[in-house]
Amino acid sequence: MGHKFLFKRRKKIKPLARKLVTSSNPQSIISEQFRTVRTNIKFSMPNRELKTLLFTSSSIGEGKSTIAANVAIAFAQEGKKVLLIDADLRKPTMHYTFLKTITPGLTNLLTSYWNLNQVVKESGINGLDLITSGPIPSNPAELLELTSMDMLITEVKEKYDLIIFDAPPVLSVSDAQVLASKCDGTILVISSGSTEKVNVIKAKEVLQASYANILGTILNNYKIGKNHYYYQYYG
Amino acid sequence: MEEAITLQELFKIIKKRFVLIITILVLSMTVAGAVSYYYLTPIFQASTQVLINQKEFDQNQFNSQDIETNLQLINTYNVIIKSPVILSKVIDNLNLKTTADLLHKQITVTSEQNSQVVNVSVEDPDLQKAIDIANMTVKVFQEEINLLMNVDNVNILSLAVITKDTKPIKPNLILNIGIAAIIGLIIGIGITFLLEYLDTSVKTEQDIGELLGLPILGLVSPISNKYLKKTKEPKSHNRNGA
Repeated sequence: MGHKFLFKRRKKIKPLARKLVTSSNPQSIISEQFRTVRTNIKFSMPNRELKTLLFTSSSIGEGKSTIAANVAIAFAQEGKKVLLIDADLRKPTMHYTFLKTITPGLTNLLTSYWNLNQVVKESGINGLDLITSGPIPSNPAELLELTSMDMLITEVKEKYDLIIFDAPPVLSVSDAQVLASKCDGTILVISSGSTEKVNVIKAKEVLQASYANILGTILNNYKIGKNHYYYQYYG
Repeated sequence: MEEAITLQELFKIIKKRFVLIITILVLSMTVAGAVSYYYLTPIFQASTQVLINQKEFDQNQFNSQDIETNLQLINTYNVIIKSPVILSKVIDNLNLKTTADLLHKQITVTSEQNSQVVNVSVEDPDLQKAIDIANMTVKVFQEEINLLMNVDNVNILSLAVITKDTKPIKPNLILNIGIAAIIGLIIGIGITFLLEYLDTSVKTEQDIGELLGLPILGLVSPISNKYLKKTKEPKSHNRNGA
């Protein structure tokens, strides 16, 4: 029994360590890159309150969940009280990344009488809490549009310094648009070498159409060239 | 998206797919080498030389006028050597299973500018046969020219002989591999630029700036497994500390 348990745990720890570089390997170049992202996010809105942050991308598999998690950790390491919410109710991944159960989660909060304290999970990282997606609903876009979502945002804004939402891709479903209009800032994750140019342009238009405040982009999977020596030097 | 490509970008594109280019290059060279070595029948060449000169014993001095005449004759002779009259006799004498037309293609007649020496070369997969044909051709030619033009001015300078180090002239392995290398390089670079042209994905910070006009909050490198190994130590430290 004990052996089995141990084996299972080890197997699962590997992807965790890989994805959450900021916590598992704070000295690495990539962690430094996330700290740069953190700084740039702070400077992107110096005179407006920035409490809710949405991460999305044009299409699937561009790394938005990984980046959202790492940025959340980077902010938590700075001493902020951060809440990470898996708002991707179609293909949730946060519970895998942090090795948590999927329920109870966001859908429970939005549809039934669960309260925040029952749903929020500790991430295992100081200062970072998370809300997993909860059971996958049949109508995610409508769920996110509910007034209970607005109420939830108001509630968590009081308890946390920063709330980070991990949203589905903009171009496939309207979920991200709905959320983006409710958030203070939206960040578009672009995967170097795989995101189509046409798609990013469309994604930007779609987000702007829903009155999202696009703070900027993060270029993921970017191979550092020789001209970026300073990363190497300081990292 | 019409933009001029600078030389630097050109090099970058080639550098990026360098492995692909080299692979295609080596592959085409190997194929060319293997095909020429294993599949193409080697062709041997035998050459004979004929001197065209008027035999006039009474006249001791060379007359430049004579040489001029001879030179003009050579052009005529070049045609005669390869004419069916000669070639059909060669085929008869050697009992060859070929036609005058086919034999015509195997024979090359060349003469240097302003020289009275004519080279007759024969190409054949069989070296002995090439030698026989070359020798027989000039012999028949020498005899026939007497009848045809009523002159006796053809001397055989050298006959084709078998030598130990005779190597096939075709296929030329180095030439074929060389050509394949050039073609391979062109194809490789062609594919590289085609892929680059077809790849419409976002790649650099400049792309984002041009396309979206949005600020870039950061670059994130691919999270590779190399960070996994590094992570183990600090992680255990943390646990001990906590």
